[in-house]
Amino acid sequence: MKKLRQAGILAATVLVLAGIACIKNYNQKPQRYEGQFFDCFDTVTTITGYAQSQEDFSEKLKLLQEKLTYYHQLFDIYHSYDGIHNIKTINDAAGVRAVKVDGEIIQLLEMGQEMYGRTNGAVHIAYGSVLSLWHDCREEGLRNPEQARIPSGEELAKRAMHTDMGDLVVDGKSSTVFLKDGEMSLDVGSIGKGYAVQRLAEYAREIGMEHALVSVGGNVCAVGGKADGTPWVVGVENPRPDSGEAYIATAELGDGCLVTSGDYQRYYEVEGERYCHIIDPDTNMPPQYFSSVTVRAQDSGVADAISTALFNMDYEAGLSLVEELEDVEAMWVGKDGQVRSSGGFKVNEEK
Amino acid sequence: MVRFAALADLKSMKKNDVILLAALVVAAFAAFAGISWYSHISTREPQAVVFLDGEEQGRYPLSEDITVELCQDDGSYNILQIQGGKAEITQASCPDKICVRHRPVSGQGESLVCLPNKMVVEIENGEESGVDAGTR
Repeated sequence: MKKLRQAGILAATVLVLAGIACIKNYNQKPQRYEGQFFDCFDTVTTITGYAQSQEDFSEKLKLLQEKLTYYHQLFDIYHSYDGIHNIKTINDAAGVRAVKVDGEIIQLLEMGQEMYGRTNGAVHIAYGSVLSLWHDCREEGLRNPEQARIPSGEELAKRAMHTDMGDLVVDGKSSTVFLKDGEMSLDVGSIGKGYAVQRLAEYAREIGMEHALVSVGGNVCAVGGKADGTPWVVGVENPRPDSGEAYIATAELGDGCLVTSGDYQRYYEVEGERYCHIIDPDTNMPPQYFSSVTVRAQDSGVADAISTALFNMDYEAGLSLVEELEDVEAMWVGKDGQVRSSGGFKVNEEK
Repeated sequence: MVRFAALADLKSMKKNDVILLAALVVAAFAAFAGISWYSHISTREPQAVVFLDGEEQGRYPLSEDITVELCQDDGSYNILQIQGGKAEITQASCPDKICVRHRPVSGQGESLVCLPNKMVVEIENGEESGVDAGTR
């Protein structure tokens, strides 16, 4: 009888402990996780989302990384990949032959054509010949600051002769792309990342993430709000690094996207003068209007394109473009720190 | 069901059995509370977490001023300095120096990133800013 009693006590204890463990587990809501990866679009990608466990979240993160890597390779203008016809393949065949490409490239280029029209040429995907000249000067200048130089007006004008959007032939039916001018090249830097982020956000929803925040190098897209129903809070980076405030304003995103184009991160200096990576197709030079422009839109590709476009035009022209477009709002930060925004852009300015 | 019958039969239980049972339950609760409290305390301190190529390399509390050289096999490096409760990169081998230009960070979720060197410093348990992400 004694043994039986002892066994009973032991079993009761185990039951109590198991009960406590169960209650703790039962109360466990999906936890918030954050993960990062590199190697896509020359930047850091951060995914914020909810999952039952770290393993569960890591699995989703891996799927998202695979997806974004696919777009990265497709839109790459510098590298070739086995078995993939990408933008570089098209550029390499300029003036020679049409290249058969994935339907996603066709969609991206068609969007580029549409944006070129809507922004009066401020978003220009056939501007590669000029951009590559600036790119080479910037890379050289960063490696060798003493020797840093900007391209000469003559060089730029020569390159700019080969940037006619009419020479970009996109054939949706046969899914081919042909560049008629052998000296021209595509550079989808102004829309490619945005397009990819939009697809990535849609993919996140497909794999069961109902509440997530995707940021590819500050190109931010919300999938639903937070799990508790409140919107995500996204900060607009302060373009002045010497200022104490990390963000110049914050915006709430229940869904939709926020993209900033600025002159304060990717740039190089020549004789004390700063030259950023965005080039105005009208002047072939970095524009001097603003420190940064932030665009809010439903579609990340649109937000990306319009933020580049607005960075390339003055405030009045930009505001009228924003007002023409549906569901697009913008916030401009001037070189002097002055903040202006379009009517529908609800931001909380950091004081 | 024999076990439950034995347990329910309190009258036949010896005093020591009851004490043992009670002690076990109390011990279980104490251990549970202790673990919860400890994990809460130990993760609450603000710290800079260093990742190289996605792998965690080290944790440095923001409360201690320190300078850490984050060197990698290929000769690339970033120098992390923690001073006055903030973390910043003071020197780096990368060409673009975006990480060096970045302001010192201390807020929850803020980070210092060096793409060429695949280095990330992330703040954990920092002061909540209420901001989930930032545009750049």
